[in-house]
Amino acid sequence: MTSEPLNTIPPGEPVVFTQPLYLSPGEDLVGYISDLAGRFILFMITCASVLAVLLIFGFVIREAVPFITKHGVIDFLTSTSWFPQAEGAKAEFGGLALITGTLYVTIAALFISVPLGLLAAVFLSDIAPFKVRQICKPIIEILAAIPSVAYGFFAVMVLAPWMQKHLGFTTGTNALNASIILSIMALPTIISVAEDSLSAVGRDIREASYSLGATRAETTIKIVIPAAHSGIIAGVVLGMMRAIGETMVVWMASGNASQIPHPWWDLSQSIRTMTATIAGELGETPRDSDHYHALFAVGLLLLVFTFVLNMVSEFFLARFKRRREVTR
Amino acid sequence: MISLSIPSLHNALDEKSIGNMDVDENVAIEQFSVENENAIVRARNFSLFYGHTAGVKDITLDIYSRAVTAIIGPSGCGKSTFLRSINRINDLIPNTHAEGTLEVSGHDVYDKRINLVNLRQQVGMVFQKHNPFAKSIYDNIAYGPRLTGMRKKSELNDLVEECLRGAALWDEVKEDLNRSALALSGGQQQRLCIARALATRPKILLMDEPCSALDPLATARIEGLIEQLKSKYTIIIVTHNMQQAARVSEYTAFFCLGELIEYNRTKKIFTSPQKKQTDDYISGRFG
Amino acid sequence: MSMMLRKITDKSFTGLAGFSVVLIIMALAVVLGPMIWIGATAVVFKGTVEFRELQYDLHQRGDRGRLKSETSEVEKVRKKIYAQIDQFKRGIDTESLVAESRKKYREYKIFLKSQNLPDEQCDKLEDNAKEIRNTLADVYDSTDKDTIIKTLDELFAAYPAKQFEHTPVAEMLAAAHDYQTVARTIDLSNREKYAESLAEVQERLTKLLGPRPGEDKPALIMEQYGATRWDVAQKQLKMILWIEDWEETEPGKPMTKKLTPRSNQFAGTTLESFFKNLETDLPNLLKPQREFYWQYFIDDSTEGYYYGGVGPEIIGTLLFTVMGMLFAVPIGIISASYLVEYAGDNIIVRTIRICVNTLAGVPSIVFGLFGLVFFVKVLMPALGYESKPCILTGSMTLAILILPVIIRASEEAIRSVPLTYKEASLALGAGKFRTLVKVTLPAALPGILTGIILSLSRAAGETAPLLFAGAIAVGPIPESILEPSRVLSYGSYDIAVGDRYASMVPHKQFGMVVTLIMLVLCLNIVAFVIRSRVSRNLRGQ
Ligand SMILES: Nc1ncnc2c1ncn2[C@@H]1O[C@H](COP(=O)(O)OP(=O)(O)O)[C@@H](O)[C@H]1O
Ligand SMILES: [Mg+2]
Repeated sequence: MTSEPLNTIPPGEPVVFTQPLYLSPGEDLVGYISDLAGRFILFMITCASVLAVLLIFGFVIREAVPFITKHGVIDFLTSTSWFPQAEGAKAEFGGLALITGTLYVTIAALFISVPLGLLAAVFLSDIAPFKVRQICKPIIEILAAIPSVAYGFFAVMVLAPWMQKHLGFTTGTNALNASIILSIMALPTIISVAEDSLSAVGRDIREASYSLGATRAETTIKIVIPAAHSGIIAGVVLGMMRAIGETMVVWMASGNASQIPHPWWDLSQSIRTMTATIAGELGETPRDSDHYHALFAVGLLLLVFTFVLNMVSEFFLARFKRRREVTR
Repeated sequence: MISLSIPSLHNALDEKSIGNMDVDENVAIEQFSVENENAIVRARNFSLFYGHTAGVKDITLDIYSRAVTAIIGPSGCGKSTFLRSINRINDLIPNTHAEGTLEVSGHDVYDKRINLVNLRQQVGMVFQKHNPFAKSIYDNIAYGPRLTGMRKKSELNDLVEECLRGAALWDEVKEDLNRSALALSGGQQQRLCIARALATRPKILLMDEPCSALDPLATARIEGLIEQLKSKYTIIIVTHNMQQAARVSEYTAFFCLGELIEYNRTKKIFTSPQKKQTDDYISGRFG
Repeated sequence: MSMMLRKITDKSFTGLAGFSVVLIIMALAVVLGPMIWIGATAVVFKGTVEFRELQYDLHQRGDRGRLKSETSEVEKVRKKIYAQIDQFKRGIDTESLVAESRKKYREYKIFLKSQNLPDEQCDKLEDNAKEIRNTLADVYDSTDKDTIIKTLDELFAAYPAKQFEHTPVAEMLAAAHDYQTVARTIDLSNREKYAESLAEVQERLTKLLGPRPGEDKPALIMEQYGATRWDVAQKQLKMILWIEDWEETEPGKPMTKKLTPRSNQFAGTTLESFFKNLETDLPNLLKPQREFYWQYFIDDSTEGYYYGGVGPEIIGTLLFTVMGMLFAVPIGIISASYLVEYAGDNIIVRTIRICVNTLAGVPSIVFGLFGLVFFVKVLMPALGYESKPCILTGSMTLAILILPVIIRASEEAIRSVPLTYKEASLALGAGKFRTLVKVTLPAALPGILTGIILSLSRAAGETAPLLFAGAIAVGPIPESILEPSRVLSYGSYDIAVGDRYASMVPHKQFGMVVTLIMLVLCLNIVAFVIRSRVSRNLRGQ
């Protein structure tokens, strides 16, 4: 065992690295600083979204505060009399009917869209053959693409006259009309998120259930949907957010009567939502009047609603993602 | 002692006759870390960690200039990790850190002062999956030179031709250099990637399983190309394919589980491996 | 048995799931179908000669010579219709008949003077004329049918029209003759009622055929022409032929419509046949002909959206969205690049992500509020401009709205660029930034583009954010970005709910909203094509 060098190639001309492999201190400094500066600029630009959120909250709160300090929150949240245009002290700003109006249409819309959306998601993820899914998904995407004002237009011009004529309602623009349209609008969101989470439930779990003799319905209802429930809830919450935040449809289709329906289940009566109130009244309100600030208080309430819901959906989506990573 | 399970390996060894460099076949070497003028890459107890797990551990090895060095071993043993440390492409992966030293031409590549641009331009790399940019053939090759500020059309034209010839692709593509690189066949794309790597005039060429995605014919062409290139460049090639290692390389390093098991002249490794693991691996008993 | 039940449950579950998808697709068809069907008639319809006249008058479109010959043909037919009305009117409108005979008498006096006749003959003729005038005045005043007819017969016998040929008196007598004919058929005591009904018929006829030639041009363009479209013409015709009444069948229930033929009002009179004639002659009166009115997409509309198109609305929509994109796209792509390529996973980056998601969840009307208080009330004065909603403020509001959409889409696109691309670039000595600009972003471009187009379509459809930040329903075409503009989305709202006249032109209402839908769908289809191209390319590699 000799320890002769491995390499016996004659040295020849040595390999020369023509460009220096080490940085000079100057280059090092410049490189470091420019890298830092570049990063900083990119970071600042990225912070535009943060800035936007802060500005939105800040300015809406700023404009809402004069109302809250003057009229307080209690009346705003408990009284149903909304007479903002009355003279001076007679003006009343009771937002309860607006809040219930929003809840009415949102909940009624969810009653339609959640079962329908969930069934459709199950169909797309578990039942439909590839080809059918390939056709159905873009069609459902079209539903999401149609502008809300077009839905509102349909509600006023087509659905409302139809309801008046065939269902015998006194007015075609009512809570039911708005709810139906909102449910159609919330469907794509619910379907796509629910379908994602259903597909994410592994094949193996399904196969395990089938191998125990369960039918597809039993597998889906007892195994797959429970396993995907975080994602499904997130989808429902997102759909709900879309319904709460929707303006044009409810403005055009809900009839805009600031009242709580009586009897409470009668959806054929007109109601008015928070969004529609802002949309309908802010244009004619003098800047910096009480009414103006009251509308911003409504806006703030909306913002808080959606912010909380957003956090809820984030929570469920995060849980859904965590689960998926664990099962993988 | 000689236990070659793969018949063609004999042929490879016979035909290529690694001995064309007057190597005494009977010299056995235990120590890999012999100080040598010609060692262009020098690793000393080099380890690279992904987070807390080591991709390679404690590698000590010299790689010699103007020769082809093959790195073989079962998958997941750290071949790519070691190769990608030489030009620090591993930096892309978050949470990596290195221990020990890894020198290129006497410069520690994990030194803070290293000029990454110059290092990477002079240590070219060819990847497992041919990955030309979605640009024209010409622009693919001109990408590197343009980075260093080469703008003159005539210089670029010359360089592109030289590199394409160097990668044995010129005759096939000279008609239309403005064609999209993605329109080429897999083998052509890989040769284009080699040409692209040559365009920055590297001293070392790292190849990470350059033929694993290619058919045998294309593989043969690439191997022929490596044969041509080795007089000018130092080539380090990772390969899965032991016949390939035997065919193209002068030196072979055998990695297993992140460690260097054996490093020797290729002929020695394939004819008389010193370690049982190496023997098992090349005779196909595991891997 | 329970096996049976389980099987049935399973089958019905499958069926239900499939049915729900069918239901959703049907909902889409129900929403889009009628709207597109009616909306398309804004562009493709049967236009009448009035339409072609309008097009020529306002935009010099069409062939002048052909239009001339067409109008003269139509005029001939219309003359007959008008004559019938005029004759009947003579019998009804006695006040104007009296006034007319007075006028004719004066004219006759002037005529006599110009004739240079001997004085006594002149006096005699003048007396005769006076006699006729006075008799006629009495006749026109009377409501007794028999006396009228008798007196007139005597008058005609005493003064044969021949005697006064080519003089105003002849015209006076002719009018009296018409009056006699009409008086025979109607109940003279109901003259006022007839006059009322006739006025309504005339008013509606103006809507159908436009103002009569020679009449003064009304100020509003919508009143200067008759029915420009065959479907409108038929509707107008129906309003002439039938009287609509709303009556309450049951208390509390909505009222129901009742139709009675208008000709009943004129039963037994010379005008009774008028309605039938009008109905049969309508094609000759209006000469309907298929039109492809593509200029709908470039024309401005007249008052109340009555005529014209949606050109300014389309331009406004494009202005708002494209300018919004100019703000949002660079920021969005840079943010996405930073989040993917530079940012690690720390508290700051997580905050940024939460903010992006929050921004995506803010209701669109709140963006409107924000646009008003920040851009209009704070930013514009700070920049030295007037504090009023305009295209600039609106597009900035839209920019914030779509920023999260663009960030998310770009993030996904950049993330899906294969690592080997970046490695290849880095291995050639490119820096991180250069790799991003030269390799990663170009490779991610199709995905980013898809995101941009989708957010373009989203922005084009948004209404609520623009309500207080730059969109208006009526107004001139903006001359700079410091003025508000009309947009398709707000226009769709206004034309459906806000505008009184628009309800008379449903094709315009639906046309507007269908234009918006089509714009949005086209953008979506483009995005879809790019996306499938890319995925095919990726699979092909
Ligand atoms: N990006 C990475 N993150 C974490 N571990 C990695 C990563 N890449 C490789 N490894 C680990 O490092 C070891 C060596 O991998 P690699 O060098 O790719 O092996 P080879 O190329 O020999 O197949 C493997 O155990 C692998 O799991
Ligand atoms: Mg590897």
